[in-house]
Amino acid sequence: MNRGLKGLESKVLDQGQCAACGACLSLCPYLRSWKGRAVKLHDCDLSEGRCFSFCPRTEVDLDALHRSVFGKGYEDIETGPVRRVVMARALAPEFRDKAQNGGVVSALMALALDEGRIQAAILTERDSELLPHGRIAKIREEVLTCAGSSYVTGYALEALNRGPWQGQERIGVVGLPCQVLALARMKASPLEKRTPVDRVDLVVGLFCTWALDYRAFAAFLKSRFGVKPIRKLDITPPPERLLRVTAGDEFHQIPLDEIRAFIRPSCQVCLDMTSEFSDLSVGTVEGAEGWNTVIVRTEKGDDLLRLAESKSVLETRAYPEDKWTHLKEASVLKKQRGLNALKDMPEKYVTLPQKMIHALMKEVAP
Amino acid sequence: MSLIAQDAPGKTILLMGNEAIARGALEAGVKVCAAYPGNPSSEIIGSLSSAAGIMDLHVEWSVNEKVAMEVVAAASFAGLRGLCSMKQNGLNVAADFLLNLNLTGTQGGLVVVVADDPGGISSTNEEDSRIFAKIGNLPLLEPATFQEAKDMTRWAFGLSEDLRLPVMVRSVTRVSHARGNVRLDALPRPATRARFDTSRPRLAFPPLPSHKALLQKIDRAKAMAETSPYNLYRGPEKPELLLITSGSGWMYSLEAVINLGVQDRVGLLKLGTTWPLPAALVLKHMKQVERIVFVEEVDPFLENNVKELFAQHCMDVGLKRFYGKASGTVPSAGEITPEIVTSALQKMLNVSYKPRPQDYAAKAHEAAAELVPARSLGFCAGCPHRATYWAVKRALALDGREGFVLGDIGCYSLGMGPSGFSQMKTLHAMGSGAGLAAGFGQFERFGLSQPVLAVCGDSTFYHAAMPALVNARYNGSNFVLLLLDNSATAMTGFQPHPGTGRTATGKEAPVLDLKGICESLGAKVKVADPFDVAGTTEAMLELLEDKEGVKVLILKRECALVRSKRQKKLFQVEVNKERCLGETCGCNRLCTRVFKCPGLYWDRATGKAGIDEAICTGCGVCAEICPASAIRKEVA
Repeated sequence: MNRGLKGLESKVLDQGQCAACGACLSLCPYLRSWKGRAVKLHDCDLSEGRCFSFCPRTEVDLDALHRSVFGKGYEDIETGPVRRVVMARALAPEFRDKAQNGGVVSALMALALDEGRIQAAILTERDSELLPHGRIAKIREEVLTCAGSSYVTGYALEALNRGPWQGQERIGVVGLPCQVLALARMKASPLEKRTPVDRVDLVVGLFCTWALDYRAFAAFLKSRFGVKPIRKLDITPPPERLLRVTAGDEFHQIPLDEIRAFIRPSCQVCLDMTSEFSDLSVGTVEGAEGWNTVIVRTEKGDDLLRLAESKSVLETRAYPEDKWTHLKEASVLKKQRGLNALKDMPEKYVTLPQKMIHALMKEVAP
Repeated sequence: MSLIAQDAPGKTILLMGNEAIARGALEAGVKVCAAYPGNPSSEIIGSLSSAAGIMDLHVEWSVNEKVAMEVVAAASFAGLRGLCSMKQNGLNVAADFLLNLNLTGTQGGLVVVVADDPGGISSTNEEDSRIFAKIGNLPLLEPATFQEAKDMTRWAFGLSEDLRLPVMVRSVTRVSHARGNVRLDALPRPATRARFDTSRPRLAFPPLPSHKALLQKIDRAKAMAETSPYNLYRGPEKPELLLITSGSGWMYSLEAVINLGVQDRVGLLKLGTTWPLPAALVLKHMKQVERIVFVEEVDPFLENNVKELFAQHCMDVGLKRFYGKASGTVPSAGEITPEIVTSALQKMLNVSYKPRPQDYAAKAHEAAAELVPARSLGFCAGCPHRATYWAVKRALALDGREGFVLGDIGCYSLGMGPSGFSQMKTLHAMGSGAGLAAGFGQFERFGLSQPVLAVCGDSTFYHAAMPALVNARYNGSNFVLLLLDNSATAMTGFQPHPGTGRTATGKEAPVLDLKGICESLGAKVKVADPFDVAGTTEAMLELLEDKEGVKVLILKRECALVRSKRQKKLFQVEVNKERCLGETCGCNRLCTRVFKCPGLYWDRATGKAGIDEAICTGCGVCAEICPASAIRKEVA
């Protein structure tokens, strides 16, 4: 079996399973992203390569990967490792005004940079056409230009591979579940990496139920709103589930069903809603607009959150028990959907202990 | 000093067949010569242009073969002798005019030289141009030796003036491109004054009386063929086998007969006037034998015409067995060789003959391998076309809609193979890429969702792509034309063209600006340098996304061979061996495995790439594409 570009092509790219994480890009001259797609430019005949090894959709043993990242096996099957969970929001208005919810991610990354915990952050920025791409932010102002979301995955990890790097920087990465999984795989890969992944010192994960394919979604927005600039996109929490679009000076609400067709196929087999391979993960809070859920997973993540609390960068509150239950249920539901979708696939990318699959599938969906 | 313009009657010199043809024209007092380059005919005008000054000729590279023939017909109408030359495909282009010119007739001697390319060694097709002589009722001559190439060309002018018809001279690669001894004759310097006789208009309409007159002329040509000194017979009066041949077949047949020692058994009838046939001569020899074999290159032209003659006279000549292409005795495609003729005769005559061993070719190849570096059919080192196709491949992959490139004939046709990354998907006639694109570009309404690209060279653009562009604009087609402007007609030997600012004789000429022409046709035009791979890719992507109308991307970069004659390397290029990633993940030999410029080599021992100083032309493109920045270029 080829574990290089040929394998990646046949098992991922040609199957429409690319998650658009960016881990395989800027490693070699054979792959490039263009308008939201990873494109193979030439054939590469190596039997083993980093593109295949780093990809979050080539075969991965999640249990082994957990051991390598967290020092223990995959035990916390509902939402991954949890040290504590809080509700939080940024106190500075500059974050809250631009942010999707509570502005916690931007505030934390700016803090980590300001305090010298990291010297660079890998974030996702959108251009005027809403096309997301990875960028390296080194100061607070650069963090702010990346705030907000377009619900489109954007090859953010390419920025990590591409640099440029001085060689000493400690690096923080903000990523979606597929991206933090790829990052964990990059770290764990036995191949010679030639990337600064070993200097990645902070991983902030984002909650994600699915992401959209850029080309299809951009074409849809263009057909609806023409040349009007899209100023903001967000999706209201359940039960409404509406896409809210600020196009020019107009405000529109679109039922989610109208855009479901643009969901990337690779999202349907994703088992992770809460970015489990992170130091801490951030998402929305059901029924509490303007607040974020923060799941702290590692000591490093805990340190950063405490620093943010003590410096009054974030305001935190205890997480309501019922919301936590709901969140776990949603997370398990995504895993169940993913496992069901995987059943229909000829080749599965994840390896999970059989008893864990049983345990997951037995969990009662709400 | 022009080789062919030596005023030395009686002297014997070594000439290429095409030079001998040109010399024959000079000895006939030719005044006007025109052609579009095309191998194997290009050296005819090439050598005449070097004699233009000393012999006071008008020699031109015309924009295409039809125009070349029209220019030469004008000379004829004005009472001057004129020659136009072309390859077999060129005659197809000129045929429309030629098949009207046969009706209006000529004044000054007009000779059309067509050099066929049996086997299609440097052509898109394998075609026998002789059939046009039959279609057009034109006298056809086929020189078999270098001396004949000169002498028959000279003779053709007189024949043309006797009949008031264009005369075709058909050569083939091994006559045009080989060299042999030629004894020179006198060089006249006629002082003819050009004048068009308005009382004798040249009007093809109404065709009926002209056609009747033409048939009378060809009847006279038949009579002339009977006494032509270029038809000869060698052999016993009553041979066992009659071999009828023409052109290159003559030497091959002679060699075969001598090698087999069957001179007293085989009669060789070599025909120089192959249309119309010298019927009486052929019938006379036919009568003596039962078995007749034909040796000729490409189509069974002689074979079929002799069979036609036989059908008419079979009661007089008796039953015959015919051997040739129809019987499978001689192959119907590809070049004829002495070996082919020898083995055909050997079987028919039952002579024991030890043919070349089966493994001869393999052994010869093996022996030569040490002396000749291995080269695949591909672009030269530093060729801008390689860089262009690299950008095409990237742009089409990134665009992701299965776009494709429609091509035509030129150096850039190699884009169909590995050195052009197999990007070119169609190959036919001059300008056909643009014409096909004009069609494809209108099929969105039938569901075609792939972007359409066409490619053509600068010389090809003037030759035949311009009408396609006009058509595309007029009919609302949508495609991108990649106009590869390398400032030369490179494939045929760097002849100048309307964009180069020079004529065939080296005189200054106005430059017909490609960008201006395309813009005046309503195309959106961009210009890029193919050596700027990133910029070229970006320009292509932008034009591919533009769904409106005809877009032209002019890729301007001089042919590497033309440039290297004038100036040194652009860049000194070096590989930093420490940075070179070689076969490892991150590169996997992009430069020597995928890009494959011959100026790069792969050093198996060190596992690193290197630059072959002797071959590298210093274009610097490999430095652009190296993923590890291991290839460095410095201004030379």
